[in-house]
Amino acid sequence: MTTRFLLMAGFATALAAQVKYEDILKGPGANWLTYSGDYHGKRHSPLTQITAANAGNMVAKWTYHVPKANGLRTNPLVHDGVMYVTNSNEVRALDARSGRLIWEYKDTRSKKEAVNRGAALLGDRVFFVTGDVHLVALDRRNGALLWQKQYGRVEDGLYGSMAPMVVKDKVLVGVSGGDSGMRGYVAAYQAVTGEEAWRLYTVPAKGEKGAESWGKYVEYGGAATWLSGTYDPELNTIYWTTGNPWPDFYGGDRQGDNLYSASLLAIDADTGKMKWYFQFTPHDTHDWDAQAWPVLVDLPVEGKARKLVLHANRNGFLYVLDRVTGEYLRATKLIDKLDWATGIDAKGRPIPVAGKDPTPNGNRVCPGVRGATNWMAPSFNAATGLFYVITLEQCDVFTSSAKEPEPKKNFSGGGASPKPTEVGQFFLRAFDPKTGKRVWEYAMTGPAEMWAGTVSTAGGVVFFGDDDGHLVAVDAKSGKHLWHYQMGEGITASPITYSVDGKQFVAIASATAIYAFGLFEPVQ
Amino acid sequence: MRRMIAVFLFLAAVPLAAQHDAGKEGKGRHPAMGNPRAIEAGRKLFVNSCAGCHGVSAEGGRGPNLRKRGVWHPLEDDAMYTIIRKGLPGADMPASNLTEEQAWQVAAFVRSLTSPAMEHPPAGNVQAGEAVFWGKGGCQNCHRILGRGGMLGPDLSNVGATRATEDIRESVADPDADGFPRYKGATVVMADGRSLKGVARNRTNYSLQLQDAQGNLHMIDLAKAKQVRFAEHSPMPGNYKQLLTKQEMDDLIAFLSRQSVRPFDAAEKK
Repeated sequence: MTTRFLLMAGFATALAAQVKYEDILKGPGANWLTYSGDYHGKRHSPLTQITAANAGNMVAKWTYHVPKANGLRTNPLVHDGVMYVTNSNEVRALDARSGRLIWEYKDTRSKKEAVNRGAALLGDRVFFVTGDVHLVALDRRNGALLWQKQYGRVEDGLYGSMAPMVVKDKVLVGVSGGDSGMRGYVAAYQAVTGEEAWRLYTVPAKGEKGAESWGKYVEYGGAATWLSGTYDPELNTIYWTTGNPWPDFYGGDRQGDNLYSASLLAIDADTGKMKWYFQFTPHDTHDWDAQAWPVLVDLPVEGKARKLVLHANRNGFLYVLDRVTGEYLRATKLIDKLDWATGIDAKGRPIPVAGKDPTPNGNRVCPGVRGATNWMAPSFNAATGLFYVITLEQCDVFTSSAKEPEPKKNFSGGGASPKPTEVGQFFLRAFDPKTGKRVWEYAMTGPAEMWAGTVSTAGGVVFFGDDDGHLVAVDAKSGKHLWHYQMGEGITASPITYSVDGKQFVAIASATAIYAFGLFEPVQ
Repeated sequence: MRRMIAVFLFLAAVPLAAQHDAGKEGKGRHPAMGNPRAIEAGRKLFVNSCAGCHGVSAEGGRGPNLRKRGVWHPLEDDAMYTIIRKGLPGADMPASNLTEEQAWQVAAFVRSLTSPAMEHPPAGNVQAGEAVFWGKGGCQNCHRILGRGGMLGPDLSNVGATRATEDIRESVADPDADGFPRYKGATVVMADGRSLKGVARNRTNYSLQLQDAQGNLHMIDLAKAKQVRFAEHSPMPGNYKQLLTKQEMDDLIAFLSRQSVRPFDAAEKK
């Protein structure tokens, strides 16, 4: 019996290869191993079977309904023909060819249900976070539990929703909960043992440098870390964004810049020490978390090659920074409806328009609370030189409350919502990062409620979820419509692409299911 | 909550004996509930007093199945105790001759049938059971706990938090009892003559997701398979009742019942 099993191990169809750090460094190919496919956040695949010329022939290949799912945020990962998807406190492995379930892991005793953005892979391990802030390591082959580490407490106003990020031998995690008063941090754990390697708080403790930029609620300052980061192996630097200061809409009790909220942090991958920070929205009062993907690209600036980070920020501007030093280089408008600032000054600080803070009776401000973009994944295609960003043209009426803040009680100091007569509109926009100029745009219809992002391919196609529940393919050069498929419900996740047995697939989560698409194959 | 129970019982016109409250400690549950010794005592009493109608394994017969939630409406502890002592007037369930303590022991056992084993741990020597798991029982050849062990069977790292004690006992004693879904032994002969063997984690008429003993996954397009054979029995040996002494079996169940990733005390019940 044992002998026969041993004999089988050598067969070519055996999918035994581990996920090595070097595999992740190579970026996507047949596999899709990280949230963005690569470390740079480019979300661009070299696959070319599906092209702008044949994307119109795409058909649905399979659907997997995630039991009891609602508003799936998961970004699928694919390794050697197996897809890993998450839901609140759950992970599933699917046959990426057929959508058939291989195994599932459910943490039935988690204290909190929360959206989940996906898993991470390293070696024979699958990592994900639970709603109640545990990092879990599973065996990728059968979903068996290897270890579980609590890295934060629900009682402290925290919850877990992000996709962990693997860097070398460590797994990095962040925390959610910044709208109710908490203290954000990024933490790194040894992938093999679950031992904590380092932790970087995003709000200084009382007495530490930066604490003077807050008022009396510094210990509940927020600056949550609810989206994964990107990574430059050469610089050994992790780029991680932080959320809003708390209370979100009332700044009266927190005079100052509120460091390091609404910022991009450059973090040493080995020590967790902050190398530099760049704050997009000092003293934010519009809940404009900086949670959008920091995309690492190398492009010339004024004739000189530079290592850059692109950041399409919720506050309405598309930023270009030097990712070695954090130096501010340029900001241009992502959207047309932008009225809270006249621009960004030479040091990267917004030039605010007076009277745009939330007020007790409501104050109309553009962009709205969800921002000009948000965590919907952007993508960058080096061949077209274009940066593809989901943008939202919307204004909201922001209200504030000077009520004494109550941490951990869902108190955010006010709120924001659009006028019923002024519904927002989504656009997929292609920007030239060398100039910040808009090259083309694709206008969407719909209720302005989606959270879907993009994926770009060397086949010259950009795939994205639209605001009406379609997966859409457009020409990467022109934005011309190529194909669409109605998934029957709103989309709150971003697409990926992968290949198995020489066949390219595009996959995306709808609200309740995972869909995979590919080219039509006529009967031979 | 207690008030609600009291109101419910009053309305249901079940003659309420005040004495059953006497055994409770403050606001907590009756001390028998979740107590390993009480559960074991209750199990013996159940076999003598209740099995005639409810079945030796509480699988049901003349009376309802007490293990499957689908056919058994869960009762509060107090209500269950009352029914055990007083019976259900108008139904076939008679009053019992059990003492107050004995009735609570039976209630503790019946509750353990549908609750995670961790919350109602059975008696038995956990350390001895651990030795059986990793030694004589050979369980680790196919099962794992926190990354140690084999690949073919279900992971048992959290089995005490997800399955009831009697379900675990049944799976050890009679591996075929639950139909072993997702763990059917399968042998596939491919069109090119290769033979693959393992467990079918999933299958349709078109594809088969086969996992071998090393954990390798074989995603088989059945159009390319010449022959597929599924085993009629679970890949798990069916002779544990003979292989292990009764004490060893009890110890093993006690060990498995305590496998919970989250400590029971810290977990808030939903």
